[in-house]
Amino acid sequence: MSQPATVRARIESSLGERLSSTLQLRERLAPQTVTTGVAALDALTGGLPRGALSEIAGPASSGRTGVMLSALAEATRRLEICALVDASDSFDPASAEAAGMDLGRVLWIRCSEHEQQLPLDGFAHNARPQRKAFRRLDQVLKVTDLLLQSGGFGMIVVDMGDIPGEIARRVPLTSWFRFRRAVEQTATVLMLLEQEACAKTCASLVLQLHRQAICAHDAVPKKPDETAGWKIISGSLPAIPANNVVRHAALLHGMQVQAEVVRSWTRKPVQSVFELRKYSTLSS
Amino acid sequence: MFACIYIPDFPVEAIVRAQPLLRERAVAVLDGKPPVVRVIALNECARQMGMEAGMTKLQAGVFAGPTLRPRSPEQEKAAHAALLDMAFGFSPRVEDTADDRLLLDLSGMERLHGSAANMARELATRVRSAGLEGNVAIAGNPDSAMHAACGFPGVTVIPGGEEARRLGVLPLNVLLDSFDMPRTKKAKSATAREREKLREQMLDTLERWGVRDFRLLALLPEHALASRLGEAGARLQRLARGDELRTLTLCEPELRFEEALELEWTVESIEPLSFVLNRLLEQLCARLESRALAAHELQLRLQLEKRVADEETTTSLPLSDTVANEAIFERRLRLPVPMRDAKVFLKLLQLDLAAHPPGAPILKLWVAAQPAPPRTAQRGLFLPLTPEAEKLEITLARIISIVGEHRAGMARVLDTHRPDAFAVERFQAAEDPNGPCPTFSGKERCAYALRIFRPARQLRVRTAGGRPMAIQSRTDSDQLPLQGKVLWSAGPWHCSGEWWGERSQADNEHGPWDREEWDIALQNGESGIGLYRIYRDNGSGQWFAHASYD
Repeated sequence: MSQPATVRARIESSLGERLSSTLQLRERLAPQTVTTGVAALDALTGGLPRGALSEIAGPASSGRTGVMLSALAEATRRLEICALVDASDSFDPASAEAAGMDLGRVLWIRCSEHEQQLPLDGFAHNARPQRKAFRRLDQVLKVTDLLLQSGGFGMIVVDMGDIPGEIARRVPLTSWFRFRRAVEQTATVLMLLEQEACAKTCASLVLQLHRQAICAHDAVPKKPDETAGWKIISGSLPAIPANNVVRHAALLHGMQVQAEVVRSWTRKPVQSVFELRKYSTLSS
Repeated sequence: MFACIYIPDFPVEAIVRAQPLLRERAVAVLDGKPPVVRVIALNECARQMGMEAGMTKLQAGVFAGPTLRPRSPEQEKAAHAALLDMAFGFSPRVEDTADDRLLLDLSGMERLHGSAANMARELATRVRSAGLEGNVAIAGNPDSAMHAACGFPGVTVIPGGEEARRLGVLPLNVLLDSFDMPRTKKAKSATAREREKLREQMLDTLERWGVRDFRLLALLPEHALASRLGEAGARLQRLARGDELRTLTLCEPELRFEEALELEWTVESIEPLSFVLNRLLEQLCARLESRALAAHELQLRLQLEKRVADEETTTSLPLSDTVANEAIFERRLRLPVPMRDAKVFLKLLQLDLAAHPPGAPILKLWVAAQPAPPRTAQRGLFLPLTPEAEKLEITLARIISIVGEHRAGMARVLDTHRPDAFAVERFQAAEDPNGPCPTFSGKERCAYALRIFRPARQLRVRTAGGRPMAIQSRTDSDQLPLQGKVLWSAGPWHCSGEWWGERSQADNEHGPWDREEWDIALQNGESGIGLYRIYRDNGSGQWFAHASYD
């Protein structure tokens, strides 16, 4: 028997009665995951983990809201009760219904600029009037706390997608840590939507979305060097429009989005921070 | 077999039921029109101090220590209702004999509750759980049970055939106090005074004969008694012997659950009011439980003290500068599912009062519950996660106190062509886990989602040939700026509607609308290219950003 093994055996035998499994590595069970409703994203990430905080970050028009609606639609399809904490009151019920969400199973909380309790810094009476975004963030944090304490939700989405990055970064890390601990022993999926990832190590999954191309039928820009960001779907080449204008009937068809897994605890090992996978929101 | 529940000193018990701390103290209840205010009821502690019923308020005030309270008809009503609820929970056949006594028919109850002794003990326990202290007696006929309950303290069981022997020791005033009690409660006061006079005369006559208890009355010769005192005398003798048989006049159970309390001094804040509310809610829930019911609506009524410092009329008013007027403050809480948890009710009322304070000190309060059958839920191992109804209701109330009314709930898309038309309804966790769920195939799903700007963001747009070429939004450091060159635009889509309505200047949610919508791709500074939907209001000519595609 090798020396380390001998030492280990000796330690275990002396501590065995007091401490069980002292030197045994306890393997953490893989968390249960749920589908996002986007097959390419599920293949990339393995799904959204239950009992953990997941972040979806990206600039405007990068497909974040589409992913959020798809995930909520899948959750309601599983007959779970969900909650949406809408920091900017930007949720569109019509889009949600079109995405397949059962609105009767989603509690929608519309945060406002209505003056409520103490701001984040706690000095309401001495400070200048609180910025509207801080009031919204204050409400977001309080409401999320209440929802996590209440329990029983299959998915809680915190939508801070329209909150500027410099304001969202003001949320202390302790808040995200508290949320993570609150959701850890539950089956709730906690999803955070924002422009820049700010929960840092508190998030089990961080997904960065970039829009790669805008897809529209029969849209051809006038100048060849303005093709960046365009994708021609239709096979035939129509006449080049005069003023770089898309025809009335050439509606937006979708976006081509690039998703990047920045951090993931559910899929190991992560070779590097970059794992690019492209998916399209095209229906066909 | 019949049982009687008798609550001695009922006005005192009604007050002590709402304030249990008074039970260990001497309490006397006053009634009457000033200046003739007398003690009408008092508990044993007050009697031991030397107080008596009939004392004036001045005489009662000489005694140091007793608590003097005015009579409270609402609390007596609530106590009587609690007693009835408890009785109907035990037997379906109940006679509402008087405010302080009930008669129950126990025929056939032995299989359910056991022997007569068990039933009597069970009834006594239930009376105590209703917050009252009373006597319980069981006998072979209703009147014997009533006399035993009125005459003997605690629990009494009289086996069949022994009524005369057991009741023999009772004094005659027990017999006469309940004699010819009205079968309904609609007795007129003049008739009651005449009956009272007749009772006094009869008692006086019998005492002059040396008859002071049931046994001596039962031994008198029947015909001689009847010839002297008439039919009333003959009936009295049958009652004394325990031979009087009658059927109960059954009453219908009334489904009214209300508790009331008049405060000694005004309450101005929610915290002390919570203690009082908690007590009332616990009593209410106990009554609901005794009838196997729950509540689907709570009503709270507060009588407020309204102080008016009227400077304009000080010349016409006396020196006192306050005039107390009363105002009623009402709140209704509609519950999503029938509930029966006093703690949940208290929390919901606290949150509601914090959001809608009464604005004046509180003199009196009533709490009522609308009864409903309790909800039944069949849980399973494989059913999806759902929040508990009670917890969810409290959480929703807390959330609403943070974000404001009508800003938390369930969205419903309205059937209209108006853009962004929706309603927010009260959220309720779906009770049927197998309820219908819309299914969508992949082809039907929308390829993109909108993020709506609420309110719509006003823009300055540079156009060329009617088409937007560049836009700039009003600067707001808390929002992402929208400014830049329009890379492409698709439109216009003209939509309008509700031309028959009146235009609201406050917002675009009501009244007619007439707009031209454009989908644009905007080179938005450093953010890159963003897709937006903007529109031009044809009425005002102004441009707004409606939503972004995301």
